Amino acid sequence: MRLLFSEKVILDMRIAVRGIGIVGGFGCGIGDLKEALIAGQRTPQMTSLSINNQTIEMPVHLCNTFPVERFVNKRALRRVDHFSRLAVLGSFLALEDANRLQNDHENLAVIIATGYGASKTTFSFLDTAIDYGDACASPTHFSNSVHNAAAAHVSILLKARGPNLTVSQFEMSVPSAFLAARQWLEDKTVEAVLFGGVDEYCGVLGYCWQRFFEPDPTIQMKPLEWNSDSAIPGEGAAFFLLTRDEGDKPKYGFIRNIQIGHIRKNRPQVPEDTFLFLGADGHKFSGTHYALCVQQDTPSAVYTPHYGSFPASFAFDMAIAGLSIQERTIYATPEHAGDNSGLKIVSDQKDLVSEQISCLKFSCEGEFAMVTMSVT
Amino acid sequence: MSSIPPVPVTGIGCLCAAGANLNECMDSLFAGKRKPLPPTRFSSDHQVAYPVFEITSAFPADSSNQRSDILFTAELALVAAKEAIENAGWNREGLKNRQVGVCIGTTVGSAMNNEEFYRSYRSGGNPSMEAITRFLNSNPAKVIAAEFGLTGPCQTVVNACSSGTDAIGLGASWIRSGICDVVLAGGADELCRVTYNGFISLMICDTSPCRPFDASRKGLNLGEGSAVLVLESSDLCRSRKHPARASVLSSGSGCDAYHLTAPAPDGRGLKQAITAAMTACDKTVGNVAFVNAHGTGTPDNDRVESLVLNELLPQIPYLSTKGYTGHTLGAAGAIEAAFTVACLEAGEIPASAGFETPDPELLTTPVKHQTAVNGSIAITQSLAFGGNNAVVVFGKGDS
Repeated sequence: MRLLFSEKVILDMRIAVRGIGIVGGFGCGIGDLKEALIAGQRTPQMTSLSINNQTIEMPVHLCNTFPVERFVNKRALRRVDHFSRLAVLGSFLALEDANRLQNDHENLAVIIATGYGASKTTFSFLDTAIDYGDACASPTHFSNSVHNAAAAHVSILLKARGPNLTVSQFEMSVPSAFLAARQWLEDKTVEAVLFGGVDEYCGVLGYCWQRFFEPDPTIQMKPLEWNSDSAIPGEGAAFFLLTRDEGDKPKYGFIRNIQIGHIRKNRPQVPEDTFLFLGADGHKFSGTHYALCVQQDTPSAVYTPHYGSFPASFAFDMAIAGLSIQERTIYATPEHAGDNSGLKIVSDQKDLVSEQISCLKFSCEGEFAMVTMSVT
Repeated sequence: MSSIPPVPVTGIGCLCAAGANLNECMDSLFAGKRKPLPPTRFSSDHQVAYPVFEITSAFPADSSNQRSDILFTAELALVAAKEAIENAGWNREGLKNRQVGVCIGTTVGSAMNNEEFYRSYRSGGNPSMEAITRFLNSNPAKVIAAEFGLTGPCQTVVNACSSGTDAIGLGASWIRSGICDVVLAGGADELCRVTYNGFISLMICDTSPCRPFDASRKGLNLGEGSAVLVLESSDLCRSRKHPARASVLSSGSGCDAYHLTAPAPDGRGLKQAITAAMTACDKTVGNVAFVNAHGTGTPDNDRVESLVLNELLPQIPYLSTKGYTGHTLGAAGAIEAAFTVACLEAGEIPASAGFETPDPELLTTPVKHQTAVNGSIAITQSLAFGGNNAVVVFGKGDS
């Protein structure tokens, strides 16, 4: 059902979240995520970049995909790159979490949202052509560099033969791709959708980060300081096993509503009695939109310092919302996230008293998306 | 079973090596014109110059379309969108007052792979961010939305070679579910050295003009272009009394879950996609006028498609139009959808370019000559890396 509210899409639904699979700089799986949220802000890894013959240190929230070998043997993984491993690991974790890993996946759709795709492999392919000549460019790198390679690997390994979709819409990739998940569940195209957001870090992205933002390597991510650039890049995958409402109580509640729009025309319509997770990630161009659009009395939290900044990160806030619904707990905003936002930011862990949580994300250009999840 | 509601197609824009707009393209197809040549915008050190279908004419439409701040893929998408919007009888102001979504398929248009930038970066240089900024400005769906001031859902589908077909199916679903009044759906892709080298590395490029379904076929030729279809709600179409050129009756997709680059030999995903689409629109094989096949000219693709067409759509005339356009990757499904609608309107299909000699291994053959077709619906289908298979069924007029 659509309520057209001055050229903003508002869709109500009742999609059950059965399982969550997540891998980020904080670790692997919903248990590691919970520990990280309780422990507080995590220090990212330091990486080195060489620019103009100078070595520059840069913090990045990097992932270890080694645990994927728990699900898939090394032989099957030998041509699967880091980007696809993130997706495979997130997918298997979500199915395991839902206790459906051993199910027949014939009627399972796979949807992946990504901002940049397999960027590392894209440049590895260029390396082979530059180093050895065009005629010796690597076919393995080429076929794995295609944006939908990750979704393909997931489908092949799971024998998932439902529709398969990859969407790339930068920061709006996750909410945009979610429209298809909702559609396929609503019109009964499939029984279940494995839906995830994935992005990887690579040296070229690090270089771009340096050139665009000139970050101070010692600074901590302060996403609530709207007017400063403090973003720290990250990478990872967050997957969800989604089904229609089957009349039971799903582990992580329901996705009830999505709004998509642009501040050129409108503002997100934040439900009453919701708890707001802000996708602010230390970019001042998007930070100003939160400052403009979020009401000061709406209880809010921000978790981006736990996993970093990358286009598909909206899925991470959705995962935290699912965990919060399961645990009936709102985790504390990391203490260094900044405090000049003027908002009602939750700084200590507390019980979730509201029935719902809304995840809000703005792009730098002013696009916005808000997904509301609820207990019932 | 009852069918899902048809979605009117009220306008089409298309450009590729065959022509600068849909009419020019159709004239070329029915005249049997095709001229693959070595690429002119980039060079390579391959011993053979693999032919491509490049847009070599002066940039179509007026010069206001030419922008230096976006990739050529996005420029192509803008040109096609503009033609489609005009063809549909819309103008910018009219669209701004509607809920308009944009759903565009691409491959190159979403790939951060600027070679000049990367060569400088890896040699320890300090390359300018111009190429990266251009890439960031060039998400095809976002570019169209920004150009026309559209604030509905915006989605760039990156499903490799089925992206354009998937985008049209998804766009139609946005209309059916009431998310949008109008959707600009299609695909866009440009030729570039990276994909040129990539497809050659996979040893699936022909050194001669491609020959889909022919016994002597050796592979594909790459191409470039864009097509955009204006899809809109039946109510809106009726209220503004604009005739539908065709209707999207249904779509279907299925994944082989078999191999990253090769289709499943039994065509299971394609069968699933066709079956899903035909079931959704509640039509039978007897209604089908023709099939616009993916028909890349690679031995594997054409073998699988022929197998599936023989099994599910026996005796239905089919063709590949890639002999006229090359394989335009993320744009292919959209360009072929545009051709499918135009052929359904014309009641005839052009010869399947490049097909001369039947392959004894294939149980079916495409049309060798321009052929009149009967039937109320037509099917266009795409197969892609990752084992993706996508199908759209079009019906005549407003069906």
